[in-house]
Amino acid sequence: MSRNAGSDVKAAYLFIAPAVIGFLVFVGYPLIRSFYLALTKYNGLTDPVFVGLGNFRRLFSTDPAFWPALRATGYLVLLYVPLSLVIGLALAMFCNQRFAGVRVVRTLAYLPVVLPAVATITLWKFILDPQVGLLNTILDRLGLPTSLWLQSPKMAMPSVVMVMLWGVGGTMIIFLAALQAVPTELYEAARVDGAGPWATFFRITLPMISPIMLLQVILQTTAALQTFNQPKILTNGGPGFSTNVLMLSIYNNGFPSLGRIPQLGYASAQVWVLFIIIIAVIALTAKFSSLWTYSDNTPD
Amino acid sequence: MTTLPTDTVREASTATALTAGTEPTTPPAKKKPRLVGTTSWYVVALFICAVMVVPLLWMITIGLKSRTAVFDIPPKLLPHEFTWSNFVKGPQVIHFPRLLLNSTIITALSVIGGVMTAMMAGYALARLRFPGRKVWFYLFVGSMLLPGVVGLIPLFQLYKSIGWYDTWLPLIVPAFLGGNPLFIFLARQYFLAIPYSIDEAAKIDGAGHLRIFVSVMLPLTRPAWITMAILAFQASWNDFLNPLVYLYSSGKWPLSVGMASFVSPFAGKTPDWSYYMATNLLYMLPPLIVFFAAQRYFIQGLGSLGSTTQK
Repeated sequence: MSRNAGSDVKAAYLFIAPAVIGFLVFVGYPLIRSFYLALTKYNGLTDPVFVGLGNFRRLFSTDPAFWPALRATGYLVLLYVPLSLVIGLALAMFCNQRFAGVRVVRTLAYLPVVLPAVATITLWKFILDPQVGLLNTILDRLGLPTSLWLQSPKMAMPSVVMVMLWGVGGTMIIFLAALQAVPTELYEAARVDGAGPWATFFRITLPMISPIMLLQVILQTTAALQTFNQPKILTNGGPGFSTNVLMLSIYNNGFPSLGRIPQLGYASAQVWVLFIIIIAVIALTAKFSSLWTYSDNTPD
Repeated sequence: MTTLPTDTVREASTATALTAGTEPTTPPAKKKPRLVGTTSWYVVALFICAVMVVPLLWMITIGLKSRTAVFDIPPKLLPHEFTWSNFVKGPQVIHFPRLLLNSTIITALSVIGGVMTAMMAGYALARLRFPGRKVWFYLFVGSMLLPGVVGLIPLFQLYKSIGWYDTWLPLIVPAFLGGNPLFIFLARQYFLAIPYSIDEAAKIDGAGHLRIFVSVMLPLTRPAWITMAILAFQASWNDFLNPLVYLYSSGKWPLSVGMASFVSPFAGKTPDWSYYMATNLLYMLPPLIVFFAAQRYFIQGLGSLGSTTQK
């Protein structure tokens, strides 16, 4: 298409060079290096010592903290992802209606997403304070039962998830874009055929947004598997190991508080366990997506 | 990867649909503006707004309370007297001006770097023919799915060995090297939607690629890079894990780490919540201002992520 293809190629390499260098240094190198480190014992000061699968053996058989970390991560994902999707979609449908002031609701629902994580999480830490926090104060005045929230081993993880769900506006906004892309004629046809709201939702809305639902399931699950800020700031893994998710365990092994030896090889092995879980989730979700996502038959 | 089709025409059209979508343009639920329906809609709307706003309002009231009034039992929702001095003394605890300056420099540089390299790469991937074009595109898109934590330990060691530990370089340099593949993807999609006749015309006028990129493409792609700049600003201003890992000296911290240090329990010392909340408001202000000033770009940026994947 271009007459001077040679200059195109030269220019292209110049334009893309920074991103390519970045890819090699910040994606390619760490990927290989971290795989190698996962097979070593490494404290960051002396050279790594190759131990084969020793780290993984230790993880799965002797480390008392690993299974709880895996369980906590799984609990968080199973609690957060479905709630985030359901509430996010409900909120998007609610905000996709014609009422005066709907933009205000949409804006406010999205507001928590733009605020710094540290700021909102710390705010929630105080809201959830059992004695002087806002939530218990309100519940108490309404005559409802209060809770220890983050300080109770049972309620700690649900509380962490509740804080995460305050940012559900991020899920909402993507669903909103998907809803707005659904052709209006489909809804009109459904109305003419006498379909009720539930039939319309299950037969039109849900199939039409199913590709976005797939994307959301993948994005939300991979993000939830890597949750760090909330448990780090809210509970630092406690009480006990109840909120000690994998990311926190990786951080604490790799970058321990002063006076303890960093276990970078061991932490890398944990990173790879997490990485493999993420790949598995993406692969499985994509593999079974044809069962529940709708695709039209128009040829591309 | 199958979920990321590269259908440009559709992408461009959905992007425009989105911009228009900031106004209430909605098909389904307009059938019966009955009083009950309307009332219940507003009741739910009020509830949603309350959940989002009340915590922030409460934060401000705590910021105005005296340090001891915070711990009154039973807690009072509103302060008795307004302790404005919290807004001065609170920031002093963490050397707020210093951290603000740090955050500003780090954020500004990562925004510039991130937007610039993504635009350049997007231009090459969308509008120039060269061997490996497809491969690099898929590598960049694929790297979006790579969890950031994979890089944490090797890069930490790398930075340490080249003397970058405890400097701002690990927070800035990656941005200049295409650190956010999502931006490259967005830039490419946007560039694809621009008619090629424009470059041809510019080429006939004797413009080189740099010239076309700077004087023709950048003005045409304004919405794309504004969106990216906002997302980059947000990501950098809010980033906590990276500065936490790469910066040791408190004098170099950005606000995120400084704010977190505020309330981390030092030897059983109770955090000064009223100081914290007053400072927290100041920390939130820049993103708040950017959000309200450039709202439609926020919605557009994230929405386009949704709509580009729409089949």
